[in-house]
This record gives sequence, structure tokens and C-alpha cells, in this order.
Amino acid sequence: MPWVSTTRYSFVKKRCLKLPKDHYIKSYCHIQENSVFLNGQPVFENGSSDFSTFIKSAYKHLETDYPKFFKMDNLSKLAFLAADLLLQHEKTTPEKEENIAIVLSNKASSLDTDRKYQRSIQDKDNFYPSPGVFVYTLPNICIGEISIKYKLYSENSFFIFDNFNPVYLSDYCDNLLQNRKADKVLCGWVDIDKEQYKAFLYIIDDEGPILHNTEELNQLF
Amino acid sequence: MNKGIAITGMGIISAIGNNVAENHASLINGRKGISRISKIDTIHKDAIMVGEIDFTNQELEGHLGLSPENNYCRTAMLGAIAAKQAVAEANIHDINAHKTGLVSATSVGGMDMTEKYFYDYIEQDTHRKYIEAHHAGDSTQKIAEQLGIEQSLVTTISTACSSAANSIMLGARLIKSGKLDRVIVGGADCLSKFTINGFKTLMILSDTYNTPFDENRKGLNLGEAAAFLVLESETLVKAGNKKVLSYLKGYGNANDAYHQTASSENGDGATLAMEKALRIANINPREIDYINAHGTATANNDLSEGRAFIRVFGENNVPDFSSTKAYTGHTLAAAGSIEAVYSILALQNNTIYPNLNFKTQMKEFQLRPQTELKEKELNTVLSNSLGFGGNCSTLIFSKNA
Repeated sequence: MPWVSTTRYSFVKKRCLKLPKDHYIKSYCHIQENSVFLNGQPVFENGSSDFSTFIKSAYKHLETDYPKFFKMDNLSKLAFLAADLLLQHEKTTPEKEENIAIVLSNKASSLDTDRKYQRSIQDKDNFYPSPGVFVYTLPNICIGEISIKYKLYSENSFFIFDNFNPVYLSDYCDNLLQNRKADKVLCGWVDIDKEQYKAFLYIIDDEGPILHNTEELNQLF
Repeated sequence: MNKGIAITGMGIISAIGNNVAENHASLINGRKGISRISKIDTIHKDAIMVGEIDFTNQELEGHLGLSPENNYCRTAMLGAIAAKQAVAEANIHDINAHKTGLVSATSVGGMDMTEKYFYDYIEQDTHRKYIEAHHAGDSTQKIAEQLGIEQSLVTTISTACSSAANSIMLGARLIKSGKLDRVIVGGADCLSKFTINGFKTLMILSDTYNTPFDENRKGLNLGEAAAFLVLESETLVKAGNKKVLSYLKGYGNANDAYHQTASSENGDGATLAMEKALRIANINPREIDYINAHGTATANNDLSEGRAFIRVFGENNVPDFSSTKAYTGHTLAAAGSIEAVYSILALQNNTIYPNLNFKTQMKEFQLRPQTELKEKELNTVLSNSLGFGGNCSTLIFSKNA
């Protein structure tokens, strides 16, 4: 479970002062097991429900107010809601046009929606290849959904790994920041397949409470 | 960094010719390659027109000398033919003598064979060999095999209609960063029911000849084609005293954060891509002598791209521009490299190719494409490839490094 103790927090802070060139995790969030956490603190919980019901209730609770949400597939809903929670928290608005790169990853790619699409064309008598479903048969469409809402014209990538891969992700993001390709990075893991889901997103910035490295990421994940 | 990357070879096969010379002849003679479809049995055959390459698959296999057991999809064969021409023009005899890579773009890959034999696969094993040829990467591997590239960087890019422009851009970056000494870059896409039906569903296929930038445009014609360029490092060009066809001076890729498939009405993505490319080339917009537009003749693209021209160049300063899609159809993942070849030909011949089929100016702005063949001194040409989802790319070619 995501959680940061006060002692570790202050320890990290001291390290920040020593290593000004490092990057930091500004804030992070989790969506898993019918709960939403922001910086380790629970912000919403909906005990026993399936993903669709849960994510809809989370959307309502968080007062997201973005009707396009309802057209999205499950992966996009999960990624969008987690990103929206973080970006709202960071007071990001489309008007500011910030240079925030988006680097996401997962294991199941868009399989959840691929299967749904496959079912819609499998039955010869009930054949309906919906363009509305088809557009979501790529994992990085969820990056598009976040970009559209926040007007992010920035660098973006979606990686598919067997497991959460903080080594690769942190290298990639540090590189984007060091080469000034982006001022901040919205990074993390968004995975959903057959009702199993988990989102862990974080914002990497020049300053923040937690040092951006693989140990911290593993811990937070 | 504004030093251009040398282009030392190019090859092409399209609906208007099987090599560079034939394509050039068609371009200057206003000969379009758009017709009714003959090689694919589709229920839409009377409702669409396409840019088809004359050769049958059997003829292509013959050209490449493939054994009867081969499992090349049409995309791979078209790609291999164009890539071989490019390597021959660059006078490369031992492809593995230097670090030589291949970046190939495609959107359909081996879908042509999959849709032909899909139901057959379950029943019998005659055509099962094509299952392995389905994915986009396989066509790239086949092209690498045909070129004899061993143990080097071979990769595939699939970003819809900006794919080949992005493979040219990646190739240039691989040379700039010193990862490769030379790289063959481009794209290939054959026609397939998959693309015909997909674009039909989007209701953007014209039932007649496509008319880029015309007020009454009815949509695009799909086309099949392949084109490749050879990019070489400065060191190799100097050492081999090689003839340089032109230089890739700038490139830019952007997204427009607007919609999963459509481009933003105001051309945000195209504007960003052109601005980035101009910045990398380190030149002023006024230095662009000609724009080879993406100009697909869909309502959405031509409006969005035209508005982007105005944003980048100013309403009264848009350079001469034309779309060559009326000749070839929209060749999807190959379009960026097809039009790179046409841009280089334009530079070599100081000629602007006409935007065929244009009659009526669009009401949204005062832009008129170049509709007649025009000879003028060209030093710098800009080419756009604007993809689905606002994945937009711009390449800038110039005579001088």
C-alpha cells in the first residue's frame, strides 16, 4: 500500500539539498482495489463493485466534469482519471500550455479493449465493428486523451513491460528532463485486463518531496 | 545543428511509374495513375478510385527472383524493389562495409495476405506461411534481407500517414548521433480491403478523381507505393567522393492534442511540425521556395493544412504549393517518402509539379495551389505528412548542406 512516513520524508528532503541536479517526485497517485489515493492518502473508496461502476463513481466523487470520459475505454478511463487527479492537484490547466511529457507503461497493452473489439466482429450474425471501440485498440490512445484535455503537445511514449520497470522509466524520464525536451514528466503504470487493474502515476519535476530514483519508485509502487 | 544530411540515392514504385525516371516523366506530363481497382475484389469497386501499381504479385515475385515457397506480402515486395533502386543509385556495392541500417514505414504490412487467406488458414495449410508475414515488422525484415543487411539496426515505424516522414527523420537522427554511417529510409504500403473498408467507414473516400485544395473536394483516393532514400554521413560522402542528390535540412514531428483520428481544424499539429522543422533547418520561412503539401483532398486535411500554411507563412506569403496526391492517390505510410522523392526531383529539375484537378478556390481562405507545371529556381522545399490523430511531420530538403 502506498505510504510515506514522516521520517523518510525528512530524510529525503535533506538529500534534496545535497543533490540539486537530481529530479524529484512532486506528487503521485494510485488507483487500485476500488480505491483512489493521492500522495498515499485515500481520497475515494467504493467497496464492492466492478471496474466500470467503480471508475464512474470515482469520476463523480472527484467532480471531474469531462463528458468525453464516458466515451473512453477502460484503460483510458483509468489513466485519464489518475492523470487528471494529479494534474488538478498540481494546478495544471490547458491555458498554461506547460511542457509536460507523458511516459506511461503497462503489461496488458490494450488487450482488454482488443478482446471487446474481437467479440464485436466474431459473431457472423451480429457483426458490428464499431469505430468508437476500434480507436481504443492501441494502448497509447490514453496518452492522447490526457493530452487533449490538458493541451499537451509534448513528448510522449507508451512502453509495454512484463512488470513495472522503474529502471527503464527513470532513465528515460531523466533523459527527457536533462535534455530539456520537457520541463516535467507525467510518468507511471496503467494496466487493466479482465477486471484486474492498477494505476500508479507520478509527476517528476525539478523539486519535490521524494527523490526520483528506482528505489523510491519501487517503494511507492 | 543545421547541417543537412546527405541523400545519395532514391528509389520509387508508384501508380505513376516503376522507377524514379518514370515517376518524373508522369509528373511533368500531368499523367495521373488513378483508376478503378483491378487487383482486389471489393464490393466498393464501383464507388472508389485508387492508385494501383500495374504489376501483379506474381510479376513482382519474378522481378525479385523469389522462390515459389516465399511468403512475401505485397508491401514487402514493393518495398524491396524501391529500396534496391535507392541502394543502386547510391552506388553501394557492399552494404555491410559500413554501419548501415534500415528504417521502414508501413501501415498495412502483410494484411493483404491475411485478409485473402484468413478463413483458409483454419481449413488447410497451403497459405499458412503468410501468418508470419502479417506483422508490420516482417515486411521490414524482408526488405533488409533483400538488401543483404546483416546485424544492424532494422526497425519499423507505423504512425499512419506520417510514417515514412518519421522514418526519414529517425534515419537522419541516427546519423547525426553517430549510431549509423548510412541508413536506408522510407516506407511501403500496398492496397488492401482493410484500408479500403477502414477509410470507407470514415467516409473520406472520393468516388471520383481526388481534387486537393478544391472547395468541392470529395475525399481521397487510396494508393499503393514504396519509396526509399539512402542517407549517408558526411564522413562517408567525403571519403567516397559521393554525388549528393540533395540534403535533408530540417525535420519536425508534433501531435496536436485534438482528436484520436481527425486533425485539429486550425492545423495546430501541422503548424508545430513546420515550425520545428524550420527551427532545426535554422532557416526563415521566406526561404522555402515550394511546399509539397500533404493535400489528401479530404475536407478536414486541406482546411487544416491550409490554415497551418497561413499561420506559418502569413496569408500573403504562402510559397508556391501543390499536392501530388491527384497523381498517386494517398499512399498512407509510404506518402512521406514518395513525396520526399518528388521534393528532391523538384529541386534537381527546378520544377514545381502541378496540383491536378483543382477548379474552385476554397471559401475559407485565399489560397490557390500551383496548377500548372512551373519552372523556377528552387533551393529549399518543404514537404508535409500529416497523420491520423494529429501525428504531423515536416521535412525540409535543400540543394546545399
